[in-house]
Amino acid sequence: MTPRERKNLFAGLGFTSLWIVGLVAFTAYPVVASLYFSFCDYSILKAPVWTGLENYRQLVHDELFWKSLRNTLFYAGLAVPLGTVVSLALAVLLNQDVRGRTIFRTFFYLPSIVPVVASSMLWLWIFNGQYGLLNAALQPLLAPFGLAPPAWLADPNWAKPALVIMSLWGTGNAMVIFLAGLQNVPKELYEAAAIDGATGWRRFWHVTLPLLAPVIYFNVIISLIGALQVFTQAFIMSEAANGNGNGSDGNPARATLFYTIYLFSTAFYDLRMGYASAMAYVLFVVIAALTWMATRLARERIGQLE
Amino acid sequence: MGRVLSRLPSKFRPRLGAVGLIALLVAAARPAAGAAPGEHRIHVTYWDKWIGFEVRGILEVVDGFNRSQDRIVVDYLPTSQIDRKMIVATAGGDPPDVAGLWAYNIPGYADAEALTPLDGFIRRDGGTVALWLARYYPIYEEMIQHGGHVYAGITTPATMALFWNKTLFREAGLDPDRPPRTLAEFNDYCRRLTKRDPRTGAITQMGFLPQEPGWWPWVFCRWFGGRLFDGRQITLATDPRNLEAMRWIEGFSKDNGGEAVKIFASGFGAWGSPTAPFFTGKLAMVFQGVWYPNYIRQYKPGLDYGVGPWPEAVPGVTDFAMAEADIMVIPRGARHPEAAWEFIKYVNSCNLRARSYDEMTGMERVCFYQEKLSPLREWSPYFEQHHPNPAIKVFRALAASAHCVATPDIGIYAEYYREFIAAFERVRLLEASPEEALNFAQKRLDESWARYVQSLQRHGQALPVAITNSR
Amino acid sequence: MPPRRPFPRFLLYALLGAASAVFLAPFAWMVVTSLKPVEQAMSLPPDWIPREYTAVLDGRPVEVTLDFVLRQAGVVVELTGGAEAGRRVFLSTPQAAAGGAWRVLHPVAPGWWHVTERLGERRSERPPLWDIVPPEAIGARLRLRWANYPGALKRLGGDTGEDDSVGRVGHISFWVFLGNSLTVCVLGVIGTVLSNAIVAYGFARLKWRGRDAFFAVTLATMMVPFPVLMVPLYGVFRSLGWIGTLLPLWVPAFFGSAFNIFLLRQFFRTIPEDLSEAARMDGCSEWRIFWRIILPLSKPVLATAALLHFLFAWNDFMAPLLYLTRKSTYTLSLALQSYQSQTGGVQWHYLMAASAVTTLPIILLFFLTQKTFIQGLATTGSKG
Repeated sequence: MTPRERKNLFAGLGFTSLWIVGLVAFTAYPVVASLYFSFCDYSILKAPVWTGLENYRQLVHDELFWKSLRNTLFYAGLAVPLGTVVSLALAVLLNQDVRGRTIFRTFFYLPSIVPVVASSMLWLWIFNGQYGLLNAALQPLLAPFGLAPPAWLADPNWAKPALVIMSLWGTGNAMVIFLAGLQNVPKELYEAAAIDGATGWRRFWHVTLPLLAPVIYFNVIISLIGALQVFTQAFIMSEAANGNGNGSDGNPARATLFYTIYLFSTAFYDLRMGYASAMAYVLFVVIAALTWMATRLARERIGQLE
Repeated sequence: MGRVLSRLPSKFRPRLGAVGLIALLVAAARPAAGAAPGEHRIHVTYWDKWIGFEVRGILEVVDGFNRSQDRIVVDYLPTSQIDRKMIVATAGGDPPDVAGLWAYNIPGYADAEALTPLDGFIRRDGGTVALWLARYYPIYEEMIQHGGHVYAGITTPATMALFWNKTLFREAGLDPDRPPRTLAEFNDYCRRLTKRDPRTGAITQMGFLPQEPGWWPWVFCRWFGGRLFDGRQITLATDPRNLEAMRWIEGFSKDNGGEAVKIFASGFGAWGSPTAPFFTGKLAMVFQGVWYPNYIRQYKPGLDYGVGPWPEAVPGVTDFAMAEADIMVIPRGARHPEAAWEFIKYVNSCNLRARSYDEMTGMERVCFYQEKLSPLREWSPYFEQHHPNPAIKVFRALAASAHCVATPDIGIYAEYYREFIAAFERVRLLEASPEEALNFAQKRLDESWARYVQSLQRHGQALPVAITNSR
Repeated sequence: MPPRRPFPRFLLYALLGAASAVFLAPFAWMVVTSLKPVEQAMSLPPDWIPREYTAVLDGRPVEVTLDFVLRQAGVVVELTGGAEAGRRVFLSTPQAAAGGAWRVLHPVAPGWWHVTERLGERRSERPPLWDIVPPEAIGARLRLRWANYPGALKRLGGDTGEDDSVGRVGHISFWVFLGNSLTVCVLGVIGTVLSNAIVAYGFARLKWRGRDAFFAVTLATMMVPFPVLMVPLYGVFRSLGWIGTLLPLWVPAFFGSAFNIFLLRQFFRTIPEDLSEAARMDGCSEWRIFWRIILPLSKPVLATAALLHFLFAWNDFMAPLLYLTRKSTYTLSLALQSYQSQTGGVQWHYLMAASAVTTLPIILLFFLTQKTFIQGLATTGSKG
């Protein structure tokens, strides 16, 4: 190593030293321990017994594992693109020079700050098949076509789309991040493009998007990681619907049995933490693979990313 | 480097400082917790789920215990998701001394070695386990045991009965004081209580729907005489009476139109709210628990309803009933197990000579306040005569019944429950035939049970002998 | 110079207005529900207006609840004989015709409402009055139940008596919960802003061996689902002796978090490299570059990170649930759980009122941080 490289290495490690301590203290042991447990028969309270690849073998033959994986991928496949587009559109809209801009931004941010306990009750109410707010609004729109709005959470075919729609309301966080990113686009570039004759849309496409690329990448990756681990909203809502201490399986008909919910049930209701840990690391591989693919795609498409 | 220094540091510092100061001041305003100076009592930590309007009963009992002796003081902590919190704390080595769970947790948690058996404490007090258990009705006796050991005391019990809406009965021309007595009558009443909108044909009222409240759909299998577990094998799909029950469940959707019922049911509010279908006149009959009259009074005080026993489904069995209970356990590794046992003992006893509210102690105090029955065979005069629940006699008779059932004594009950619910949902939504649904569940449960037994062997545990009399 | 075509303003406002209405609906519904009495809280069909219904029962005007509509004709009678003498009952026409020991009070036509006297949540010795009255006889007016708010806050602490008095055992004031939440959130925000900026600088603005691999590891820590880390992490905190205190909720924020490191790194990378290069050539140390150049340029994203962490910590109840063992240390988000009994029966109006109160600080914070965004726009000059 050259002296320059060594200097840089020390500087780098110096700046990241806090994180190194944090990793070692709060993350290393749990991650390594749970990886070990994934190869054991571990029920949290009794000592773990090594079983090798037994848990992973059982996973492959478990229908619910595959079903929950499919449910999760379906959900992520809808929620991530829609969420990104919606939050970006909102951020761009709210970045225009509009009167009362701050108030509008607050409106869009509100759904994401309501506590989950209250919001899940609210959503159960809004998505009620007969009298919910959503169907009350959709009914007059669909009636002229002879259609009726679906029963949402009570219908296995519409439960996941209902949750996707719910997640769109929560794009306030992503919107805020996009807003912050939009601040970094200098006004002069817009003016220069306007002088060159670019219209609104082309300005957006050629000026805003490329400069926003790192932020878009961030939001997509975070959104992907979050969507693949979707848990809290679905968990509380099914607890609210069943109110039971045995876990719920994403009913109706296990349509909303997401991967992390199945994992949670296996870990804390069936007390099979070893099996749940194996599930966790399979998910880890899936997420890592998808993230890597997304990064490669981004690199090719936009070219300026790391 | 001609960049103007941003005002960020200097502007944010005083603001953050002010907020931080306020926060610390408010935090410091917290009342001082802990024992008074000079107190040498043992502090027993008790975690349980009671909150809201049900908590006062348990607090009075805790208070009563604390004042009845000066060696131990119990500190109550209300918490949600008590089962998960207790498991994590026990695994971490910091469990509470007493934790409140449900009776259906016992088989799984006992096999997982999360609980301290109470047999030793019972015997040390000078009696036998059988003598201690004799204070309860038989079903509760069974509920708190597993593998030959007693693991819990009861906080509040419950039995389930048939509730019917007398106004709707009258409207349909049925005698409001005569509930259906047999399954055939029940089905007939349901037919007569099903009403449709003359214009659209949509269902506006039904006699009964098995998914409301939908917490224990397995009870219908037991009601029809079926068994879920014979002590060695899962009998979900192998017992033909379970299939019969599932066919009956399917009938509700099939006979009234699957889509129509789905749309009708999608308008139900939550069971514990003013818009519950039983409260809004959408369902005329429902099977609910001893707590229900309390909820009716809360949310629909004007409802004219009746409470009665289950109709006869298996010929000759007129006293079918279902029971469950909230329990207290001593987690493994608790710091003060003997003191914890003293508290459990206090709550599971009562003053049998109480003639006023203040003379009631222990179990009766809690159950009186929550308007539930007492699981003890003997009741004090005041409890019996002044009980606030108008239908308490019905619930007591059900608890004493010889055909009372509870959850099966099987360690994989949580999974069993979820598989059953999945099968139940598939059948009632007409997505699978009853045979398919039960066979699928049976297959998964067989594998799961085999794995469980193997896991027990791996840990050097013998397979516990299951209680199968009424469970 | 061709004129710049502005985005049509009325279209913009129309879009914003429509989108706002959609996004605002859940929150508005929450606020409206918090001002209703419990029986109207989740009414079917949904009703946006909290009302007070009155009717004349037994000659007295009382406040009533609307129960259901009768679909058949009949009579309301009073039983004169038998065990239940004096009790009022509804009989359908055929039952009335059959005869019995009662006297007719008044006839009932289809479409009439069954109403019950509203006694509130008190337990009353006598049963409430009820009657079946024509819709015209029911008076309805708007009435906002502001009393739900103090009632909700009192009940947060648990155990309130029926007369709203505070129980003597273990009642914790709302201010204590608020203080705990503020402590955790404010300290967490300070830690977040300080630590993550430093770490992200190391990943974004410096080139060193193993940097990218280390960053990949950092990202990877976000990909392990939390439920399996819960039990070992509890063990870590236990060995530190932090269980039962607020420490596990904010101390880790001082050591960085993968999410914020990722966020800040992406932003730091958008700042042109030339600035750093010029500073290095001037002989500045990396720390000075960080403190004097990069940090000031990152106001919007730092404000974002602070806001996001505050929001996350404010509403998080999973961590407090696991680590706190005394009610006096509970945070607001955990105390909110006390409206959702695991034995069923949610006190909707109180839940919504308390939730509305807990969102106020965040709305305030959001408003304040918005200034950063608008200022950020103003100070963005030429960046070369």
